[in-house]
Amino acid sequence: MKKINCARGPICRREGAMGMRLFLTLMLLPLAMAPSAFGQERFPDRAITMVAPFPPGGVADLTARPVAAAMERILKSPVVVVNKTGAAGAVGMSYVANSKPDGYTVLMALSSISIIPEADKLFDRKPAYTMDQLLPIALISADPTVFVVNAERPWKSVKEFVAEAKKRPGEISFSSSGVYGTLHMATEMLSHAAGIKLKHIPYGGAGPALTAILGGHVDTLASGPAVVIPHIKSGKLRPLAGWGTKRVAALADLPTFKELGYDIEFYIWAGVFAPRGTPQPALKKLRDTVRQAVNDPAFKSAMEKLQTPVAYMDAPEFQKFWDMDAKMLADAIKRMGKIEIKEAK
Amino acid sequence: MLETLQNLYLGFSVALSPVVLLYAFVGCIIGTLVGVLPGVGPLAGISLLLPVSFGLDATSAVVLLAGIYYGAMYGGSTTSILMRIPGEAASVMTCIDGYAMTRKGRGGPALAIAAVGSYIAGTASVVGLMFLAPPLARFALRFGPPEYFALLVLGLLVLAFMSGGSMRKSLSMAALGLLFGMIGIDPMTGFFRFHYGLVELGDGIGVVPVAVGLFGLSEILLTAGQEKPPEVIKPRLRELLPSRQEWRDSTWPIARGTLLGFLIGIIPGSAHIISSFVSYAVERRLSKHPERFGQGAVEGVAGPESANNSATSGAFVPMLALGVPSGPIPAVMLAAMMVHGISPGPLLIQQQPELFWGFIASMYVGNVVLLILNLPLVGLFVNVLRIPYALLYPAILVFCVLGVYAVNGSVVDVGIMSAMGALGYGLRKFDFETAPIVLGLVLAPMIEMSFRQSLSMSSGSYAIFFHRPISLVLLLVALGFILLSLRTLFTRVAEWRRKLGLEGEGEIKEPGKI
Repeated sequence: MKKINCARGPICRREGAMGMRLFLTLMLLPLAMAPSAFGQERFPDRAITMVAPFPPGGVADLTARPVAAAMERILKSPVVVVNKTGAAGAVGMSYVANSKPDGYTVLMALSSISIIPEADKLFDRKPAYTMDQLLPIALISADPTVFVVNAERPWKSVKEFVAEAKKRPGEISFSSSGVYGTLHMATEMLSHAAGIKLKHIPYGGAGPALTAILGGHVDTLASGPAVVIPHIKSGKLRPLAGWGTKRVAALADLPTFKELGYDIEFYIWAGVFAPRGTPQPALKKLRDTVRQAVNDPAFKSAMEKLQTPVAYMDAPEFQKFWDMDAKMLADAIKRMGKIEIKEAK
Repeated sequence: MLETLQNLYLGFSVALSPVVLLYAFVGCIIGTLVGVLPGVGPLAGISLLLPVSFGLDATSAVVLLAGIYYGAMYGGSTTSILMRIPGEAASVMTCIDGYAMTRKGRGGPALAIAAVGSYIAGTASVVGLMFLAPPLARFALRFGPPEYFALLVLGLLVLAFMSGGSMRKSLSMAALGLLFGMIGIDPMTGFFRFHYGLVELGDGIGVVPVAVGLFGLSEILLTAGQEKPPEVIKPRLRELLPSRQEWRDSTWPIARGTLLGFLIGIIPGSAHIISSFVSYAVERRLSKHPERFGQGAVEGVAGPESANNSATSGAFVPMLALGVPSGPIPAVMLAAMMVHGISPGPLLIQQQPELFWGFIASMYVGNVVLLILNLPLVGLFVNVLRIPYALLYPAILVFCVLGVYAVNGSVVDVGIMSAMGALGYGLRKFDFETAPIVLGLVLAPMIEMSFRQSLSMSSGSYAIFFHRPISLVLLLVALGFILLSLRTLFTRVAEWRRKLGLEGEGEIKEPGKI
């Protein structure tokens, strides 16, 4: 397949992994293309594929694209983002986990990378992939979730909310992006730490979960800050606390759960991974490239526009962070166990 | 009112600026081309091209994507009409009568009616969007799981009115579709159902591979099985335009389809898919000659095509007015805005008037562009039919495989399409209609999700469906439909009695089909 490259603009406008994409891209050449450049070094001597296991427009995709664009400016060799979606990201992640470990296939994964193998264990099914099939390269961003309630509900603080939830166990509801999804996990951690029981209404994605709380069909939601801030500003949603160690910059008045005495922390993070067995020189090159990429001004401005804080960590640090995060999620899943549907009371 | 007109003036000054106009054009052209590829519908098209829009400014990006969206919506009808290959779930109904018209040599008029219907529906619904967006959006948000469930029940009842054949056959096909819809991750517990070790089946069976298989592939197989190859249709220029009668027959279906599509479209979720199914059923129900449906009734093209186009604009209502990702496609559009640092939300209209009004105006422009683009193309597309079958059908087969593969890059999807092609071939040999399978497959996951969400909300009490006014009204309408269909049952009994009592009284009319 012909390689196409571009080196202009904050985010590369290039698709080229599949026949049709290539065809469509060629039609758009006048819009987006600039002269191509090819790598002269041993690695990479051809295009690197960065797999985003979620559809275009999702967090993984929107993070992968500026990173890939910055990387290809540094490597002077194409880095192609491919969306391989399905089964809550399991399809794309297992694709990379099982691909040839040569450094030419990397993964932009989210926190859910640690959830899927645990959920597979819980249901006794053959795992789509295991975590030790993947090596961390770098953490790119970590966005602490915030806890919001529908503004028509009376609770003004976590204290009031917890008091009410204790009075009416299992009656206050929350929406999530899906069972065992990241938003479900965050709320589960809160329930566990506060000793309360909430009613879970899973939705098919973060968008529908947000729509549900705006329509007043559920009472609360844990969500990434960027999508709820406009609704907080317009007065439809009220934030009660955040899951980070530090406060969210755009919501400076919002306390963290840690400040309030709950020892919980949760981030929706995005990081780059490669299959285990990737040769050391290629790994080193990838790590060096990502390190430079996160300091690229175009990358920084793209992330700023997305209101996603960059939280770069190099492989060793990231490995520690990942281990901790994965353990926390695994504990939460074990605590939750299989979800049982109860009969009507 | 005056303010709206001033704003619209602002909008047009944005939309008619050469750059934005260019992107509207480019979007429509790309959209049409994408839509013509079998299996690649608006969602696939817009997702694949989202990254292209990152380098543009926000308004141009949104205009480009919207152009791709309605272009693809329209392009999908071309393959449905000429080759019986639905580009997406919404064009399944167009396949039936559109293709029947093509077989009768009326492919050109079918395409022209689809273009004009889409144009009218698109324009009228933008007017609706412009004047009614904020109040309508607030209303649409009141659709929670119970209301959604009630709406879908109504959609399911539509099945009964959908086909001209035997009721038993079409209901059994619908049941088959509902069963297919059970494959995938259980939305409430995370359990994998019927996946047979394939991770790809976690999200269930995609509608597009099923529709392309059941409709497109089965048609190719059936044709190959004929003793003599069908005659190649040579369209004449004179026959490209609809006749006076066809225009007259299409007027009301277009109007009804527009209204119906808009109303269903504004509801957050994926209900817009059912707008074309509902429109088809309504037209068939209202028609004085329901037996013409399935044999090339122009109403069966005009109604659903208008409905799915106005549902398109309807879906933008909650997105623009409230910043709510009201469906998969608006979600992609919102992502395009976020990339440009615009936070979509209730304040969008005030904070970004150029974007909002530019977008509205560009939709007017886009619809005109689409019409200008597509009417002349009718002549071109129809000429595809001149290609001998021995060459045309293998080529279509290749495009089907390519298109279905390209959407997710998944070989499993190609497998599903092939299996469905074989299934569709067998079923059609036995005179089963395949459209109810698609509708069942579309509805099953949505019904299941909303039903179980509702019961979670009420901690298991069914009363939730009757306590909420919107859902109660919808369920009552559904009940009304059932009673209405019972009436035909009674007339049938009366007919049967008369037949017994007055044997030999001359010809007995076929009892009214349900």
